[in-house]
Amino acid sequence: MMDRAALLSRRALLAGAGVGLLGASGALTACGGPTGDPSTRLYTWISSASDREQWEAFIGAAKQEDPGFALTLEGPSFEDFWTKAKTRMTAKDAPALLTTQAARTQEIGPLLAPLDGLAQDAGVDLGAFNEAMMTAMTVDGTIRAVPYDAEPMVLYFNRSLFEAAGLELPGLDYTTDHFLDDAKALTSGDVHGLAISAGLVHLGMAIGFADGGAPVADGGLTLTDPAIVEGMQFGFDLVTEHGVATAPSAVDSEPAAQQELMGGTAAMYVDGPWMYQVYADALGDDLGVGVIPSRSGDARGLIQGSGFGIAAEADDPAAAFRTLAAITTPNVIGSVAHARGTFPSLAQERDRWAEGKPEDSVRAVTALADSGQPLVTTSNWNEIVSVFAQYATDGFRGRRTAQQILGEIQEATAR
Amino acid sequence: MTAALDHAPASAPAAPARRPQRTGRGRPARWPAVLYLGPGMLGFAVFIVVPLAASLVISVFDWPLLGSPRFVGLENYRYMLAGDPAFWRSLLNTLIFAVLYTAVNLAVALGLSYWLMNLGGRWAAFFRVLFFIPVVTPMIGNALVFRLLLDDDGVVNALLAHLGITGPQWLNTAGWAMISLVMMSLWQGMGYNIIVLGAGISGISPTVLEASRIDGAGPVNRFVRVVFPMLSPTIFFCTIMTVIGAFKVFAQPYALTEGGPGNATNTLVLHLYRNGFSFDRLGYASALAWALFVIVMLITAVQFSQQKRWVSYDS
Repeated sequence: MMDRAALLSRRALLAGAGVGLLGASGALTACGGPTGDPSTRLYTWISSASDREQWEAFIGAAKQEDPGFALTLEGPSFEDFWTKAKTRMTAKDAPALLTTQAARTQEIGPLLAPLDGLAQDAGVDLGAFNEAMMTAMTVDGTIRAVPYDAEPMVLYFNRSLFEAAGLELPGLDYTTDHFLDDAKALTSGDVHGLAISAGLVHLGMAIGFADGGAPVADGGLTLTDPAIVEGMQFGFDLVTEHGVATAPSAVDSEPAAQQELMGGTAAMYVDGPWMYQVYADALGDDLGVGVIPSRSGDARGLIQGSGFGIAAEADDPAAAFRTLAAITTPNVIGSVAHARGTFPSLAQERDRWAEGKPEDSVRAVTALADSGQPLVTTSNWNEIVSVFAQYATDGFRGRRTAQQILGEIQEATAR
Repeated sequence: MTAALDHAPASAPAAPARRPQRTGRGRPARWPAVLYLGPGMLGFAVFIVVPLAASLVISVFDWPLLGSPRFVGLENYRYMLAGDPAFWRSLLNTLIFAVLYTAVNLAVALGLSYWLMNLGGRWAAFFRVLFFIPVVTPMIGNALVFRLLLDDDGVVNALLAHLGITGPQWLNTAGWAMISLVMMSLWQGMGYNIIVLGAGISGISPTVLEASRIDGAGPVNRFVRVVFPMLSPTIFFCTIMTVIGAFKVFAQPYALTEGGPGNATNTLVLHLYRNGFSFDRLGYASALAWALFVIVMLITAVQFSQQKRWVSYDS
C-alpha cells in the first residue's frame, strides 16, 4: 500500500512536472512574438511614450467610427526600425501593416506592396492626400503608403525670450540674416539663440532646402549641391563663428537639443510639427512656430511626413487595406492632428489641426506645407545619415568645412 | 626479472571497468567516444563550422537583407582592401585600441593583483570584489554614464574647471575620443584579469616566496625573478584572451562615440555591424568578418609560437 502510494505520488509528481514544463514551454512560445490576424497588426517605431500615445490616438479615433476595430502594435525604437523592419517583415508571422516615412520609402520600398489597385477596389481616393507626400511615397511608379501627415520642418521659438530681448517674432519672410541677428541678440549668459542637433536633416539641411537645394536629384545623391553645402556651413558657423549655439555631441544630440528648447536655455530649434504637442506641454503659451529662414526670405518647406503601408508578403492584402483605410479616414487623420499636433495629409482636416493653436504658428506651418517639397532620398539613406552623424562633430567644432564633409560622404557612399 | 615484470600485467587480475570494450573482432568499441564527443562536436559544427562556412559563401555575394543575392566573386575583398577608406582606418583604430588596452590592462591588473596578494585579509577580498563589479555591469549602461562624465560640459570637465583647468573635448576630438574609449574599457574589463592573475599568484607556493625572501630578494626582485616566471602561464592566458577581446571591441564605440568624430573611433566590428545591419551589405560584412577572423587567428598563432621565449611551465 505504501509502495503504491509512493508510486502514485511519484507519478503525480512526474505528471505535475510534465504539465509545468508544457506550460512553461507554452509561455515561452507565447513570448516569441505577438499572434493573431496579421491584417490587424501594425509594425511601427515605438521609441517613447509619446510615440505609443500617437499610435493609440489612431486606434482610439478608428474605434470611435467602428467600435469593433482592432489593431495591435509592435516594433522597436525609431533608430532600429529601418534595419529591423527588413528582417521582421520577411518572417512568417509578420504583421501585414507597417509604418514608413517619406524620406525612407525608397529604402524599404521592396517591403511595401503597391496600393493603387487595392485603393481602387476599396473605393479610396488616394488623390485627396497631400501631393508632395504622395510623390514621396511612390516607388517605381506605384504608391506604397498612405500618408497620415505632411510635415514641413519648422522653426520652434520661445516667445518670452524674444519679447525679453525686445525682438520682433519671426514672420513669414524670415531671412537668414535676420535669423542670425536674432540669434545673436538672444544669446546671453546661459541662454543660447538656438539649439542644434547633429542630425543630417535638421537646421542646415532645412535652410539649404529652403534656398532651393536638394540632397537627392533624379534618384542620385547630390549632397554637394551648393545650396545644401551653404546651408550646412551656415549651421556650423552658428556654433564656431557666431557662438549662438553649443556644439552638439556626436551621440544623441537630438534629445539634448530638444531639452534645451523645452528648458528655456535655447530660444529656437528646428524640428518637425510632430513634436508640437511635446513642446507645447513644456512651454505652454511661450511656444511659437515660424518658417525656416532662407536667404531670400521665401518660405519653402522640407516635408517629411509618414504613412501606413502593407507588407509586400501579406497573405490577405485586401483585409490589411481595410485596416489601413480605417486609420486613414479624414476623421481619424483630423482627430489625431487635433490631439497630437501632427500636420494632416488631408487639406480638409487642417482646421481641426489648427484648433487651439496661435494664428501666427498656424500661418507659418501652413505656408511651409503649401510651398513644400518632399524629401526624397536614396536607398542607402540610412548609411548617409549614420556617416554624417560621425562627421558632423568636426563641422560643428570648426575642424572641417561642410564642403569637405559632404564631399567625402558623397564619395564614400556612392558605391 | 624483466621477463617477470613483462608477464606481471598479464597475470594480474582483470579490471573490466577500466578496459575498453571490444567488438566481436577484438577492436575497441567506438560508440562511447562518439557518445561523449557527439554533443560537443554537434554544437561546434552547428554553431561554429556551419556559420563560418556560410559567412565565407556570403562574402562572395552582394547579399542585401532584402532582395536576391548576386555572385560577385572577390569584389567584396577587393573593395575592402582598395576601395573602402573606412576599412583601413577602422583596422588601424582597432590595432591602436588593442595595443593600448592590452598593455595597460595587463600591467595594471598585474600590479593590483600583486598588491592584493601582499595586502591579504579582508581588505584584499573587499578590493577584489570592488574591482570585479564593473565586469558584471552592462557596457551600454557604462557608456551612458561615461557620456555624462566625459561630455564637453560633463562632470569631469566641470570638476577640472573648478581647478582652473579647461578640460579637453573628451569624446569630440580624435585622440581624446580613443583615450576615452580605452579608459572606459579598462574600467569595465580589468577586474576579470585581476581575478585570474590573483588566482595565479595565490597558486604560487609560499615556500618558494619565503625561500626567495630568505635569500635576500626584495619585492621588485622577488616579483621579476620569482613571481613573474611562475605566473607566466596565467599572464599568457590573460594576454591571449585580452587581445582577442580587444579586437572584438564593439559596444564601447557604438554607445560612446558612434565611431566618431569622423572615423576616429570606428573599429572593425563596428564597421562590420554597420555594413551588415544598417547599410544592408551582408556580403561585404562577411568579408570584413573573415578579415577580422584571419587577423585574430594570425596574432594568436604568433603569440603561441612566441610563448617559449617567456612562458615557463616549470612549477
